[in-house]
Amino acid sequence: MKITRALVLAVVSVAAVVFLFPLYVALLMALKTAKQTFDSFYALPPSLNLSNFSHAWETSDYPTAFLNSVIVTSLSVSIILVVSALSGYAIARGNKPIYTFFFMLFLSGMMVPFQVTMLPLYQLGKTFDLLNNYWGIVVIYGGFGVQSGVLFFTGFVRGVSREIEEAARIDGCSTPGIFIRIIMPLLKPVTATVLVLNALYIWNDFLLPLLYLQEKAYRTIPLQQYFFFGQYSSDLNLAFAYAVMGLIPIIVFFLFMQRFIVKGIAAGAVKG
Amino acid sequence: MKNLGRTIRREMWYILFLVPGVLLFAFAVIAPFVAGVRYSFTNWDGVSRKLTYIGLDNYVNAFQDADLWTVLGNTFKYAIILTILVNVVAILLALLLDSYLPMRNLFRTVFFLPGVISVVLAGFIWSYNYSQGFPKLLSSFGLDVTSPLGNPDQALIGLIIIAVWQGVGTPMIIYIAGLQNIPVELTESARIDGAGPFRVFRSVTLPLLGPSVTINMLLVLTGSLKVFDLVYVTTNGGPGFATEVISTFIYKNAFSSFKAGYGMALSMIFFVILVVVTVVQVSIFRKREVEV
Repeated sequence: MKITRALVLAVVSVAAVVFLFPLYVALLMALKTAKQTFDSFYALPPSLNLSNFSHAWETSDYPTAFLNSVIVTSLSVSIILVVSALSGYAIARGNKPIYTFFFMLFLSGMMVPFQVTMLPLYQLGKTFDLLNNYWGIVVIYGGFGVQSGVLFFTGFVRGVSREIEEAARIDGCSTPGIFIRIIMPLLKPVTATVLVLNALYIWNDFLLPLLYLQEKAYRTIPLQQYFFFGQYSSDLNLAFAYAVMGLIPIIVFFLFMQRFIVKGIAAGAVKG
Repeated sequence: MKNLGRTIRREMWYILFLVPGVLLFAFAVIAPFVAGVRYSFTNWDGVSRKLTYIGLDNYVNAFQDADLWTVLGNTFKYAIILTILVNVVAILLALLLDSYLPMRNLFRTVFFLPGVISVVLAGFIWSYNYSQGFPKLLSSFGLDVTSPLGNPDQALIGLIIIAVWQGVGTPMIIYIAGLQNIPVELTESARIDGAGPFRVFRSVTLPLLGPSVTINMLLVLTGSLKVFDLVYVTTNGGPGFATEVISTFIYKNAFSSFKAGYGMALSMIFFVILVVVTVVQVSIFRKREVEV
């Protein structure tokens, strides 16, 4: 048994090294100069040199892009959470066919991939002046996110017993009061799920910003990375320093939220 | 009467709660979809205000377009190979991590990590590794390799490897969750009856993992049929036409070639394909699932 276990450990370790190798190369590039890379590709840099980073920080608008990503992601996720919680609660508690109809509508909307609607979406953005500002893209992300969000919240609220609500109603509590005081505190687990799944997707999304946020002042991190890599393809050490800077926030987020992400994915699979 | 009034008021609130969600959804999904259907029957160029209805011409042209068939071939080749690879690797990793392994949480983090990186970054890092990193590493073993992304015969495989690297994390977590739901007694008793580890996996574990397999196959297949970012930022369809997939093909038709009407017809064909694939796949796999 011991031998098997050692063997498994060895196999998993090799796989882990393979998975980390591309990131190791990226970090290595970011820490070395072009000459050091040329002299010896895989050697660690002789001393810790962060000049690539400071150079990348100055030549790129990294803080702007970071701020844009934070604003777009947090606004979108907030809208998705509030709106899906409200709709999900209404669908779970209302017992008229119309609620089932809307539930099915949200469900079938998930079958429509973004690629199919991207051109009309761009037109819509142009018509309603939604390009190159935060609100346009946030509203579109909101519309995408409520589809799965409603499914999550409906499923969760259906599992909550109605007894407390009925008791509160007899005591004269109104529907919004019940929602705010009784339902909302119970929604924490499903809120965490919807939050992390949408935050990861929006933070990393490339296609919608490519359509909606072309202007420099509004570019999010992935979009700005794309342009930066195109521009500095000759100075790879600088480009990699920038790449590593882009990696840091999402890795920190992932490490802190990992528990919720893992739970969210498992919960999402059951829903599907 | 008082009761009736209360019920009506409650229903009013429910409707009110539903309104923002429906509005957002209508604006971001339904309106563009309906507009897209309309554009697909016109010869609109995507810029001018003028559109002329040309009936089914776009659809007729699409089915006679040799490029479309090449692109669909590339897309399905990419999606099917990727789906199989991702699921095989994810099941293997899940099985390995499900055993009593030291530092299993750390390993899980490592395998999931590439999935949280933006595709732009992943594409950039891998393009470089393909052209510089791996050749330098392998040349020390006397092997001479060039970047697969520059070779029409290997470019698609090159992309698939990047996508596997980024894509195994999510299915792996779903498989781990699925494995934890399998009662230990079942695998134990199979083992006592003399089944080896492979037999136990094939006859007990895999059938009981049915629901996880269904959902993972579906997620990865539909996700990879929709691939856009990875192709756009690494090869942009090249070299030649070797990695052009349906999403990038639609994008180019709609935004660069001024054939928006045609691009929308392609989108609609793509949408129908996705629906068919989803329905077929769900019905095939649902039949094979076993209840615990």
